[in-house]
Amino acid sequence: MTAVTSPGPEYSDIVVDHFERPRNVGRFEPAADVIEGSAGRREQGAVFTLSAILSARVADSFIKSVRFKAYGCPHCIAAGSWLSERLVGCTQDELQRWSWREVAAATDIPPEKRGRLLILEDAVRALSEAWRLSV
Amino acid sequence: MNTCSCVYLDNAATTPVDPRVAERMIECLVPTGAHGNPSSAGHEFGRRARALVEKARAQVAATIGARPENIVWTSGATESDNLAILGAARFHADRGRHVVSAKTEHKAVLDALKQLEREGFEVTYLKPDAHGIVHPQQVKEAVRTDTQLVSLMHVNNETGVIQDVGAVGQFCRERGVLFHVDAAQSAGKLPLDVEALCIDLMSVTAHKAYGPKGVGALYVRRKPPVGLRPILHGGGQESGIRSGTLATHQIVGMGAAFEVAAAERDADVSRLRVLRDRLWQGIAAVGDVELNGHPEQRVTNLLNVSFHGVEGESLQFALRELAVSAGSACSSASEEASYVLRALGRSDQLAQSSLRFSLGRFTTNEDIDVAIAAVQREVQRLRQLGQGL
Repeated sequence: MTAVTSPGPEYSDIVVDHFERPRNVGRFEPAADVIEGSAGRREQGAVFTLSAILSARVADSFIKSVRFKAYGCPHCIAAGSWLSERLVGCTQDELQRWSWREVAAATDIPPEKRGRLLILEDAVRALSEAWRLSV
Repeated sequence: MNTCSCVYLDNAATTPVDPRVAERMIECLVPTGAHGNPSSAGHEFGRRARALVEKARAQVAATIGARPENIVWTSGATESDNLAILGAARFHADRGRHVVSAKTEHKAVLDALKQLEREGFEVTYLKPDAHGIVHPQQVKEAVRTDTQLVSLMHVNNETGVIQDVGAVGQFCRERGVLFHVDAAQSAGKLPLDVEALCIDLMSVTAHKAYGPKGVGALYVRRKPPVGLRPILHGGGQESGIRSGTLATHQIVGMGAAFEVAAAERDADVSRLRVLRDRLWQGIAAVGDVELNGHPEQRVTNLLNVSFHGVEGESLQFALRELAVSAGSACSSASEEASYVLRALGRSDQLAQSSLRFSLGRFTTNEDIDVAIAAVQREVQRLRQLGQGL
C-alpha cells in the first residue's frame, strides 16, 4: 500500500483547478450539428469522449461548444476539461492538426503521464473524422 | 494540536504515540532521567536504565503470554522478521532448506525469503483464497520432510484478515517444524498467547500500538531453545542474539504502549467496531464497492474497499483530505498494484481503485462523518465524469 500524499509538485495548479472544477462535463444529444469522438479503454487507464456542436454544416464551420467525459487520472480529467475550452472556435483544419503537446505544455503534465495524452489526441482525431464524415 | 487538516485514517501504517507513553519516554532522555546506557552496570545511571528496560521487557512479555527472557529487542518488525527468518533458517540449514510462507506476507518477510532463495533455500508461497485466508490444510500439504520453517502473518496489513495461526502452530509443533508469526498488526489488537498458539518466533513492533517508531521485539522460544544465527554483530547485547546499544526511551515506550494496549484493548475494540461498521455502511451506500478480505475473520479497525468505476489515482487525489493508504501504484515507486489484492484474485483495475481505511484509538465520530461525506461526494463525482464510457 502506498500512503496517499497531499497535492505536491506532481499536480500543477492548473491540473488541480480543472480536476476539482472540470468544465463542460457531459455529452450532447445526437443531432445533425453534433459530432462525437472517443478513444481509450479502462484497462489502458484512460477513456475520453468529446462531443461538439458545429456552427454550421459547411466546410469552414467551427466548433461552437464542447462537452467531455473522462475516466482516468487527475491529469487526464484536467486535460479533458482544459481541451473542452480550448477547442471552442476551432476549424476542422485546426482540429486535424491538434497535438497532445499543447495540453501537456499548458497544464504542465509530467513526462510519465504523456502516454495517456496520446489517448486524448486519439479522441480528437476521432472527433475530427466524425466531422469529416458529417460534411 | 493537529497541524494537518487531514483526517487520519492510516493507523495500520503507523499510530501516533499515546501521550501517556510519550511522557514515560521523555523521562529517559533528559539529564535528570534514566539516560544511561543499560549495559553500564557500574553506575547508577546505567542501572536505572537497565531496570526500566527490564520492566518494559516484562510488560511486552505479559501482553503476549511470554516470559521476559523470551523477548529480544530489535529496531522494529522488519528487523524482527529478518532475524527470525534468516537467523533460524541459517542456523538450522542442516535440518533442511525448505520454508513455507504465503504470497500475502509483508515485504519484510517476502524479501527475507528472497534472500534465503539466493542462499539456496527453497520457499513455497501459499496462495490465499478469495477472502485472503490461508487455510491450515494448505500448510499441512506444503510441509515436506526437509521443511524447517513456516512463516505466516497473524493479521494482514492490507486487508486486516486474521489467519488461524493456532491451528498452523499446533501442526508445526507436532511435525517439529519451526513456526514464525509476524504479529505486527495484531499485537495490542487481539489476544495473543504464544504458548497456546504454539509459536516459536514472533515479530512485534511498537508503532502500530501507539508506541514509538524504531523499536520492536522478537519473541524467541527458549524451552527447548530455538537456534538463531544473529544478523547483527557487535557488543553481544540481548544474549548475543541482537547486538547494539539498547534504546532505553524507545524500549520504555514500547513497554508502556503494550501495557496500555492490553489494559484498554476490549474498550478500544468495541468502540472501533462501531465506528468501522458505520464507516462501512456509509461507504457501501455509494454502491458498486467491494470489501477486500474476509467479512468476519478480520480485525475491527480496518476496512479495505475497492470502488468500481473510479480510477485509482483520481480517487486518492480527490480524497486527499483523508489520510488513508491506497492500492494504486500510480503514486508509488512500485510498478504493480497491491500484490496482496492481486493474490486475492482482484483485477489490476480493482486493486488500483482500492483504499485502506484504518481507524485507531484517537479516531472520533466526527472523523467518520467527514470520511463518509468525502467518499460519497467524490466517488459520485468521479463516476459521473466517466459515466457511460
